[in-house]
Amino acid sequence: MRKFFEKSYMALIFGFLYLPIAYLIFFSFNEGKSKVIFSGFTLKNYVNLFRDEEIMQALLNTLIIAAIASVVATVIGTMAAIGIQRLRKWQRNAVMNVTYIPVLNPDIITGVSLMLLFSIFGITLGYGPVLLAHITFNIPYVILAVMPKLRQVDSSIYEAALDLGASPALAFRKAILPQIMPGIISGFMMALTLSVDDFVITFFLKGVEVETLATMIYSTTKVRIDLSMNALCGVMVLVVLIILILANLPQKKSGNKKREERI
Amino acid sequence: MKNIIELKDIHVSFDGEVILDHFNLAIKDKEFVTLLGPSGCGKTTTLRTIAGFVQPQEGRVLFEGQDISKLPAHKRQVNTVFQRYALFPHYNVYENIAFGLRISKTPEEEIEKRVKEMLALVNLKGYEKRNVSSLSGGQQQRVAIARALVNNPKVLLLDEPLGALDLKLRKGMQNELLRIQRQMGITFIYVTHDQEEALTMSDTVVVMKDGLIQQIGTPEDIYNEPANPFVADFIGESNIFGGKMIRDYLVEFEGIEFPCVDAGFGENVAVDVVVRPEDIEILDAQDGMLCGTVETVTFKGVHYEMMVRSDRFLWKIHSIKCREPGDKIAMKIIPEYIHIMKKEAGTVN
Repeated sequence: MRKFFEKSYMALIFGFLYLPIAYLIFFSFNEGKSKVIFSGFTLKNYVNLFRDEEIMQALLNTLIIAAIASVVATVIGTMAAIGIQRLRKWQRNAVMNVTYIPVLNPDIITGVSLMLLFSIFGITLGYGPVLLAHITFNIPYVILAVMPKLRQVDSSIYEAALDLGASPALAFRKAILPQIMPGIISGFMMALTLSVDDFVITFFLKGVEVETLATMIYSTTKVRIDLSMNALCGVMVLVVLIILILANLPQKKSGNKKREERI
Repeated sequence: MKNIIELKDIHVSFDGEVILDHFNLAIKDKEFVTLLGPSGCGKTTTLRTIAGFVQPQEGRVLFEGQDISKLPAHKRQVNTVFQRYALFPHYNVYENIAFGLRISKTPEEEIEKRVKEMLALVNLKGYEKRNVSSLSGGQQQRVAIARALVNNPKVLLLDEPLGALDLKLRKGMQNELLRIQRQMGITFIYVTHDQEEALTMSDTVVVMKDGLIQQIGTPEDIYNEPANPFVADFIGESNIFGGKMIRDYLVEFEGIEFPCVDAGFGENVAVDVVVRPEDIEILDAQDGMLCGTVETVTFKGVHYEMMVRSDRFLWKIHSIKCREPGDKIAMKIIPEYIHIMKKEAGTVN
């Protein structure tokens, strides 16, 4: 009896998580135009998807914005983390609290406030503001990913590198950077995902010319029923799945060792 | 012998707290010098000033007569063995030792030769490919020493390098460090708070307290002729008490006059008297002038430690003879073992 409840509990959770997605993908193969009546199998929605220039442009925008924003945010965030680490304790706590605010703030506040900021300075909304906004909201996540790694690094290791003749820049690159690299990578991945994922902030700052996938799907599903959106979701799920599998593969091989490093 | 390092009027303070107070020190070439003192005395700061990690507010650091005060750490020809080893965890043993040579763009075959030499020097042959985190504390310390020595520094700075090792390993490493220093023929500047370590290893001991040098001398000088009660108390164990110099070669304490070997203090001058616990001989009560009652006896391995109450003082005596608590004994001190120091403020008794 108990086993039965344990199993059905799990089934319920996974059902709620994945059934809607499965439903969405299932109808991406629908021959007809309906989202509720399945009238036959086809791949034409996928073909249309890749022929649709609007969608392809939105995909390109999403990828470019995410790539630039996450790279810039990773560089700025890592430098900021190093600076914060060197502050005195009360200063560090103060700066870290300020860092947490954008993370905890609802996206809508960040979006509206940035939109107001740009309009005060008379900057036309569009590509630039979206990019700046993405960099801005990504930085705290990078800082939060890098800080714990940085705290683990023994400061005398940096001094040891200096002592052995490395210039400060070289000492950082050879002694500190390899040790905080896992933190930097996870910060970068987080920034990339958040950037691809973001709808609210982009929505307020995109103006009229720029569409990302998120804003595109939103505006499309509002006005027309188009199964190529279902196909788009199918592709995105597939990409995420592949990335997940790839990310987990090397971890399984080296087993416990990798896990120890993370802790 | 010429001075390889000179510190001239070095003044360091952090947040208004004075760490080194107009500090002067000259270190001779090829010497094994130990900076000894309790924690917070400024010994590590002295070392970091020489390495270039601390910028003194005042004063100059001279290396072979050249002023290097403004030279950043990575351009100084000294290398450091850090307290917690500070090995690079992402490199193996070979790459850790090769680090300095790679920075200076040494040819690959030269690097291989030098690293091999260093591994042989620190008895770690065959450990090239090992991960540093898989090594024991003692082995990590050897890698740290090899990594510092591979650059052929003229001065090696060691910041409490054996502090994290257990007693037996520490003794072994002391001998090994001495051997390495003789073999390389370079100056070692060694920081420790362990007085026994300082006495065992050094050519010269610098005793420090509160950012000031208390005494500089050979281990024998420091032990036998401490300059003040602090040094006497810090280096080994001592009985320190007030006495009066009657005239040259005659001192009075416990109401008894003792002949001694010190002179030049004047007549009827208050002085501090130091007697090492192992320099007091125990006699039967009727055979001596200075008598006391044994209060406690502790077995210490090589000897017994006895606390003996006399008329005015509590004496600490180390002896291989054992007496029971409550026994009456006499104490004999020969003139050579009575050490007289100028009276200082704040002395106990």
